[in-house]
Amino acid sequence: MRVSLSLGVETGVLFGRSGSGKSMTLRTLAGLRTPSEGRVTLDGRTLYSSAERIDLPPRERNVGLLFQNLALFPHMTALDNVAYALPPGKKGREHAARWLARMRMEGFEDRLPARLSGGQRQRVALARALAAEPKLLLLDEPFSALDGPLRRSLRRELREIRAEAGIPILYVTHQIEDLCSLGDRVFVLRDGRTAESFPVERLWEKGARGEAWSALGWGNLFRGRITRCGEDCACRFEGERVGLSLDGGAHSPGESLVFVAPDKIRILYPDLPVDPDLGDNIFSAVVEETAPLGGSILLYLASENGVLWQAEHPSESYQALRLHPGSKVRFAVPPACIESWSGGRSSAKGC
Amino acid sequence: MSIFCILGGPPHVLYTFHDLALPDTGERRAAYSLFRTFFGARARSVTTMLPPLLLSLRVLLFAIPLLVLLGGGIGWLLARSDFPGKGFVSLLVQLPLILPPSVMGFYLLFAIGRNPFLKSLGILFSFSALVLAATVSALPIMIQSARAAFASVDGELEDAARTLGKGEWTVFRTVTLPLARRTLLVGLALSAARALGDFGVSLMIAGNIPGRTQTLPLYIYNRVETLDFAGAHAASLLLVGTGFASLYLVRRLEEGRNERRAAC
Repeated sequence: MRVSLSLGVETGVLFGRSGSGKSMTLRTLAGLRTPSEGRVTLDGRTLYSSAERIDLPPRERNVGLLFQNLALFPHMTALDNVAYALPPGKKGREHAARWLARMRMEGFEDRLPARLSGGQRQRVALARALAAEPKLLLLDEPFSALDGPLRRSLRRELREIRAEAGIPILYVTHQIEDLCSLGDRVFVLRDGRTAESFPVERLWEKGARGEAWSALGWGNLFRGRITRCGEDCACRFEGERVGLSLDGGAHSPGESLVFVAPDKIRILYPDLPVDPDLGDNIFSAVVEETAPLGGSILLYLASENGVLWQAEHPSESYQALRLHPGSKVRFAVPPACIESWSGGRSSAKGC
Repeated sequence: MSIFCILGGPPHVLYTFHDLALPDTGERRAAYSLFRTFFGARARSVTTMLPPLLLSLRVLLFAIPLLVLLGGGIGWLLARSDFPGKGFVSLLVQLPLILPPSVMGFYLLFAIGRNPFLKSLGILFSFSALVLAATVSALPIMIQSARAAFASVDGELEDAARTLGKGEWTVFRTVTLPLARRTLLVGLALSAARALGDFGVSLMIAGNIPGRTQTLPLYIYNRVETLDFAGAHAASLLLVGTGFASLYLVRRLEEGRNERRAAC
């Protein structure tokens, strides 16, 4: 692994596929893993330096880490869990109770983690991490196990906390939602290396969007040519290896980039009729790889013409489809969901 | 008599049977033996059972801390650390479990007897030998349980404690030990029962010296040898009761653990 990143008082998002080294990076920063060489400094304090032979143990680093599975102590109540981060005694417990109250967990102080819901456990874990008053907070996909509304409310709370605490936060995720709603700056990890780093706003800048997205390693991006062809103002995109029907009107002909977000790709159920609006954008493919992303699954689909597509699919219907690497599948690209760029102008009909 | 014929008992047992001074007349003889079996012997067996019982308990008193330290320590090492030859060590420490106790005892006897330093310590045929025998025969059970207990504790919980500013000893005391406790106690109950019941290894390295190295299991052997079945019964019953109690304790501990797991 070769990772390099620097973060001000802002929220950095470490983005990458599973296995790209995100969790490992957090563990290294927290001192739970020793890198073979390098340097880690926080607020002017050297936490690790192979050159100076400095390697502070985790307890002296003052770096908070919220684990993916939360790592709440199962034999301690919610209050004891939070108080664990504080000096023992009555004062620590009062302080812990205040933290729980702040996370809207009054009345649950005496519950064991096993008797709390997923969202409540998140809150306890967050309270525990913050109670230690870390100088840097690391979050390892803490919301990946939660469903939509709960994720949104926790994200909101995290934003409030960030504003109050004024400490840098480094957040690991492979979910685009988290990235967009929490991050100030993105660090893209690929194969254990920091491949790219840019402000999150760039994702929304016109023109740059497709490339920024493709830098994340997320999405389907093609280069090619848009031709005007049909009488009903439909366009056609011809890339080197892929041809797509586009919805008419919005696109301009010529050299172009075309982007399809994975969550817009529709997996077709074998025994259901196909929506005529999908046109001829229907492909047969073999599932190459599956990567769970919490509420959804990222499928890597190798289509017959040799293109690797990414498709995101809700976990529940994924189970109903019984897909696994090697199984054959048909998918469609709704023409309205295709975005294109040509010469700095972007266009999408929106879907 | 017939029992020994069936069991193929050693000749000296038959000798002691004939050597018993029994009255001549059939009636008196029958009455006396009945009385002896049910009253006299029973009363006597309680008093003769007491020293071996106390000795067994004294052995346990020394063996249990050794089992906790050695078994817990080796179990922890096997569960948590990597060192060269770990596979071999984990096989080696399980060996006493499957070896015949006489073989285990024989090797110990040989190792201690042939080593001038160990020999000079005067371990053999003494109380220390009993503690050694009990510990050696029960250690594999304790190691196995401790290994399972420590392996079952999620390392991430310990890491979480470390990032919350706790040192290694505090992490062990407040996170690892409480979470491993039940399985450790199960191991301790089972291995203590095994230590209490050791016969073969004790006989080989501590002998069977009444009043000095005669523990309860050895005492039972002696009682049977002298045809004092009442005494053998009383002592056996006591060990059966202890065995039941420890198994019951183990079951309770395991039930508690499963309940906790189910609650998660």
